[in-house]
Amino acid sequence: MNLKHVTGLLCAAAMSLVLASGAWAEDKIVKIGVILPMSGGTASIGAHAKAALEVATDIINNAHPELGNLPLAKNAGLAGLGGAKIEVVIADNQGNPATGQNQALRLITEDKVAAVFGAYQSGITLTSSAIAEKYGIPYLNSESVAANLTERGFKWFFRTTPIATDFAKAYVDFLSDMKASGAKTDAIALVHDNTEYGTSVANTIAGAFKEKGQPVALDVAYPVNATDLQGQVLQLKDKKPDVIIMISYTSDAILFAKTMQSLDYKPAILLADDAGYSDPSFIKAVGKISQGVFNRSSWSVGPSGSPSAIIADMYKKKSGEEMDDTVGRQMQGFFVLADAIDRAGSTDPAKIQAALKATDLKPEQLMMGYKGVKFDDKGQNTLASGLIIQLQDGENYTAVWPKANAEKAPVLPYKGW
Amino acid sequence: MRRWIWLSVVAAFAIAYPLLLSSPFQQRLGALVLLYAIAASAWNIVGGYAGQVSVGHVVFFGCGAYAAMGSYAKFGLSPLFGIPSGIVIAVGLAAIVGVPTLRLSGHYFSMATIAVAETMRLIVTNTDWLGAAVGLSGPTVPRNIFDLSFLSSLPYYYLFLLVLVITLFITWWMTNSRMGFYLRAIKDSERAARSLGAPASRTKLYAYMLSAALTSVSGALYAMMFGFVDPESGLGILISVKILIMAALGGAGLLFGPLVGAAILVPLEEISNSWLGGKGAGLTFVVYGAIIVLIARFQPGGLLSLFTQRRKSKSDTGAGHAP
Repeated sequence: MNLKHVTGLLCAAAMSLVLASGAWAEDKIVKIGVILPMSGGTASIGAHAKAALEVATDIINNAHPELGNLPLAKNAGLAGLGGAKIEVVIADNQGNPATGQNQALRLITEDKVAAVFGAYQSGITLTSSAIAEKYGIPYLNSESVAANLTERGFKWFFRTTPIATDFAKAYVDFLSDMKASGAKTDAIALVHDNTEYGTSVANTIAGAFKEKGQPVALDVAYPVNATDLQGQVLQLKDKKPDVIIMISYTSDAILFAKTMQSLDYKPAILLADDAGYSDPSFIKAVGKISQGVFNRSSWSVGPSGSPSAIIADMYKKKSGEEMDDTVGRQMQGFFVLADAIDRAGSTDPAKIQAALKATDLKPEQLMMGYKGVKFDDKGQNTLASGLIIQLQDGENYTAVWPKANAEKAPVLPYKGW
Repeated sequence: MRRWIWLSVVAAFAIAYPLLLSSPFQQRLGALVLLYAIAASAWNIVGGYAGQVSVGHVVFFGCGAYAAMGSYAKFGLSPLFGIPSGIVIAVGLAAIVGVPTLRLSGHYFSMATIAVAETMRLIVTNTDWLGAAVGLSGPTVPRNIFDLSFLSSLPYYYLFLLVLVITLFITWWMTNSRMGFYLRAIKDSERAARSLGAPASRTKLYAYMLSAALTSVSGALYAMMFGFVDPESGLGILISVKILIMAALGGAGLLFGPLVGAAILVPLEEISNSWLGGKGAGLTFVVYGAIIVLIARFQPGGLLSLFTQRRKSKSDTGAGHAP
């Protein structure tokens, strides 16, 4: 009888120990709130980003010594917080700025997240970051390019992606290099949709060329998700610009490629601004008739065995898709945020903010082709940059510019099909 | 008598709600319920009482939202100026749109209102002065109290509650006025009402303008709370649909119908999003669809009509027993 009691007590004690240690381990979790479009017109972006963040959390939470210099990869969890694990809490913004803001509030006040990460669409990043600013919670944005986001005097907002002014400069430099090597680049046409992305990027690029004394010759706008683009292509065919810069989302990019083939029109240089042209579904659908298109990207897969190639592989296993620039920028942003939390050694918002301000990552510590990560007073990454890539061998983009990062030389003129 | 007891219980709950459930998210949820209740009650005047199902009401919502953000972004004024200026624009627009479209009956009127709203969305999307596709932002850091940019949802909650009470009072007053009787007559049979001398066109137009003014106020309040408006969030067709479904779910043409609808649908949307996170994305829209089908099939009068029906059938049977 007594013995039974003692055994019972011992069992209970052992169980409570197990439970207690379990609870203790659970305490060491750092929650990061993530706002993404999981439904609505851009739901596929959200699904890809979710897979990418799962890969990123795997890299942070488990030991991945094969990833070399990448911060947080070597050991399991955040060393600065005694091996704490990162947990991602995803909220759906439904493609709606108001919903995005509600979700930011919920993540901060209900889920008590240490930081917020998001929100893809610039308009939603705008409204959701305003809540984080009011509550004094760090907000990291990795992919919204609207210039005004970092012009609001916010103290808790940080952005890792290159923005329109950065890549407009890259286009100007790239085209003057092409001109130096004998290509004709005098008349430039901009083709863009009427969304915030299309109009703001087109304006910035036009401004950059104007500053260089080479105003854009032709500006062709079209309604987003167009069903017919013959008029626009005929206009281009008529004006015969030397260079076309395309600023389009996926469905329009595919329709442009098809329309250009059916009307048998090829410009000498076709330069695309990321977005649709980086989408794997664009390459699947019309890659074969878009040979020689140039594109902007900060992502290049690198030689096999390199950290970026390993990550691309992990991502492909998770999502079934090739890694693209958008997903890469999101993962990179997430790593920067996790690295700051690790260095802060705490989930105290002010300490994370200070750590973000002190961020100084070198190119070899990144998976993306940035020159580094370092934030200015406005929270913009000053070392963000991109490469020019070209679709040369059917299905894959190759880095061609600048020379230092080039795998192959650029091929001119645009070949098409 | 029982009606008054119920009313005071609801009123007491509405006033005490943010104190009972004091987490910021719950308070904000309460404020959102009230905001949508204002919009749905405003729609109810023309959609419920007059029976003119406008699916383009977001255009008036947008008037208010853009007026509020425009006051700040373009003129450096408090967004509060958006309320009167939004009302003026919305009423003017309602008069211009209403005169030709209110002559249309049934589905044709609904379709015309959709066309107006979509046209407006496209015009604004292409107007640089109104921020085009980028939209307009409100004050990020409030300059003074009149910028109505609060950290807590509490001030918004009570402000919205006040506006809702005013909206409901106007609706109640209207239904008991000559105009209310005209509207009910028109809803039952426009031809009969006309032949009895009710000024159908004029009455419908007044109801449309009144509804536009109140909808514009809800748009202005919305923009103040979120501090941002763009063509999708200020003029998107989904907002019209949301407002319409809330009114229909609770009971179109009933004073408290829209409030009941908002009190069910807004929390449902927010909670389904937080419970399901990224997993059940889009479930809200499935629920919306299901609600439309179920209401249309089983309870076209809305949930509140269940109660009125029961009361009626009770009094009917009571009358039957009387000798």
